[in-house]
Amino acid sequence: MVGTGTLGLRSRWGRTVLTALGIAIGIASMVAVVGISASSKADLIAQIDQLGTNLLVVQPGNNVLGEGATLPPEAPAMIRRIGPVESATSIVKLAATTRQSPYVPKEDANGIDLYAIESNLLATLEGSMASGRFLDQGTDDLPVVVLGAVAAERLGIRSVDGGRRVYIADRWFNVVGILDSLALNADIDRAALIGLDAAVTMFDVKRNASSIYLRAQPEQIESVRRVLAATANPHAPNEVSVSRPSDALEARAQVDQNLQNLLLGLGGVALLVGGIGIANVMVISVLERRGEIGVRRALGATRHHIRAQFIVESSLLALLGGILGVTLGAAVTFAYADRQGWLVEIPTIGLAGGVGAALVLGAVAGLYPAARAARLDPAEAVRPTN
Amino acid sequence: MSEATPVLQLDQVTKTYPGSPPVEALRDVTLEIAAGELVTIVGPSGSGKSTLLNIIGTLDRVTSGTIAIEGHDVARFSDRALAGMRSARIGFVFQQFHLLEGMSAMDNVATGLLYQGISRSQRRSASIAALERVGLGHRMQHRPGKLSGGERQRVAIARALVGDPAIVLADEPTGNLDTRTSREILALLEELNRDGSTIIVITHDLEIAAQLPRQIGIRDGMVEFDSSDAVTVAPLASLGTIGGRA
Ligand SMILES: Nc1ncnc2c1ncn2[C@@H]1O[C@H](COP(=O)(O)OP(=O)(O)OP(=O)(O)O)[C@@H](O)[C@H]1O
Ligand SMILES: [Mg+2]
Repeated sequence: MVGTGTLGLRSRWGRTVLTALGIAIGIASMVAVVGISASSKADLIAQIDQLGTNLLVVQPGNNVLGEGATLPPEAPAMIRRIGPVESATSIVKLAATTRQSPYVPKEDANGIDLYAIESNLLATLEGSMASGRFLDQGTDDLPVVVLGAVAAERLGIRSVDGGRRVYIADRWFNVVGILDSLALNADIDRAALIGLDAAVTMFDVKRNASSIYLRAQPEQIESVRRVLAATANPHAPNEVSVSRPSDALEARAQVDQNLQNLLLGLGGVALLVGGIGIANVMVISVLERRGEIGVRRALGATRHHIRAQFIVESSLLALLGGILGVTLGAAVTFAYADRQGWLVEIPTIGLAGGVGAALVLGAVAGLYPAARAARLDPAEAVRPTN
Repeated sequence: MSEATPVLQLDQVTKTYPGSPPVEALRDVTLEIAAGELVTIVGPSGSGKSTLLNIIGTLDRVTSGTIAIEGHDVARFSDRALAGMRSARIGFVFQQFHLLEGMSAMDNVATGLLYQGISRSQRRSASIAALERVGLGHRMQHRPGKLSGGERQRVAIARALVGDPAIVLADEPTGNLDTRTSREILALLEELNRDGSTIIVITHDLEIAAQLPRQIGIRDGMVEFDSSDAVTVAPLASLGTIGGRA
């Protein structure tokens, strides 16, 4: 039956593909919408999970004149004193360049930021090491450095094996560790990290934090948030910016839903148009194949055989469109998610649903043409057309 | 079934196409064809030859009268039963071949067995045998488009024969062929008849008709003569009045 059903499709290949394309576009857009939004959501959820919803970030804001403010040096210590704060860590941005060697001109430094950090940064951000180890109290004042994932790549360092060094400001630092990429801390990914004590002795930096990361007990997060600005800078709480990275992600996950429904609706319309296209082409096909229908009836096909043949043909046509569409939709999802740097997630139910929907649509679209084919009077159908 | 049962019996068959005025395509047609016969139906254009063949082939139903194929009164058959009768007992050959373009000669012939519930491999081997019978053993894998008119009609004849039907119906099988090829196709039908097939063929070629064992003349939907009737003795004389068609 399937072999018989494909005959009409194979002998009019161009038309088959064009007709299937109608369905394919509908299915592809729906799969892509579902896939992209699922990937985006999966990515957001992964980020939220990874980051935890109890991470807060304190940064210097602007003063009343709109100029960049600073955080007082004692801010991290003050924040640690808030009861529900489990851990807090500060980073201080340094102005020095980080290069592969002194022979690389300073202007060609790869845009790698340098931060002075405390040894509990890794734990607070819940990061992990790709290679080597993190800075600890014992090494804090030695010329050693830990590289963020992106920074390490730019410097061409994949692992700490073999005693790799980088040239920071005007001296060599031993690379002791490389971080895995951090979900929301792209700034750390792009940075070289040295111990705060080392930075203070070597670069004579001020201890004004450029960011303070802290984790609080999840159920106390709101009350902690309320007192953070005043705690960090009691004299000018309005010059402190407090953010919760997971908030932005959750808001994004919400916004996506409305857009997704709209796009799904459009995809549905495209699918419907594709279905009508199939019905149309099948009606034409029945008219053209009067002789074939007649000869099949003469060879012993019942009305039921003829009806089934055209429904199968129409379903296969739509199935082809469905497979094409799902493939196209998945490809679009992959490409898009890849460009966004997301995890790709296409729900299997979306794929199966896409193919299934096409199949059902094809069968329905085939009902009317198939009924017309089955109704054809066999004697009439075998008569020569003038 | 007894030996004497004719393959085909028509008794006072009438076929009227509704319309204004209605067309009486067949009137009171009564005839009998025995197993192993080779019969030609002749008559002017519009005389009802195709209508008669479609009725015999159960593609069309009678308005009144009875038709029995191998003793079965097919007027009472359901659509499904008629389809079964056609698939197992009747073979068709058409003027415009009606081969399926998308498949090879072999698959076209195998389609003759498709609706009988026969396995694919059996269909194939029967198809090969049938094509060899019509002298097309070397053209099995060709698409109809790659075959000459005569070869296409041979494929169609093989398709009609492949199920070993009780009767083969050919409506102007040589209508689209040149004279030489027509002779060859007729010769093939005669040969198949010698091997036992019962064949009814509509033809315009009076010369050919005259060579065949039995002629039935149709005019205005009525049997004008039947060469097997003892009473009608001069059939070929009246054949001269046909030829209304170019
Ligand atoms: N479906 C139909 N509806 C109405 N009239 C029809 C139909 N089919 C055939 N006829 C008429 O019935 C008559 C017999 O037609 P038929 O096709 O049997 O003739 P024929 O002898 O085969 O002619 P030809 O030699 O041209 O093929 C003609 O007058 C034709 O117009
Ligand atoms: Mg005719």
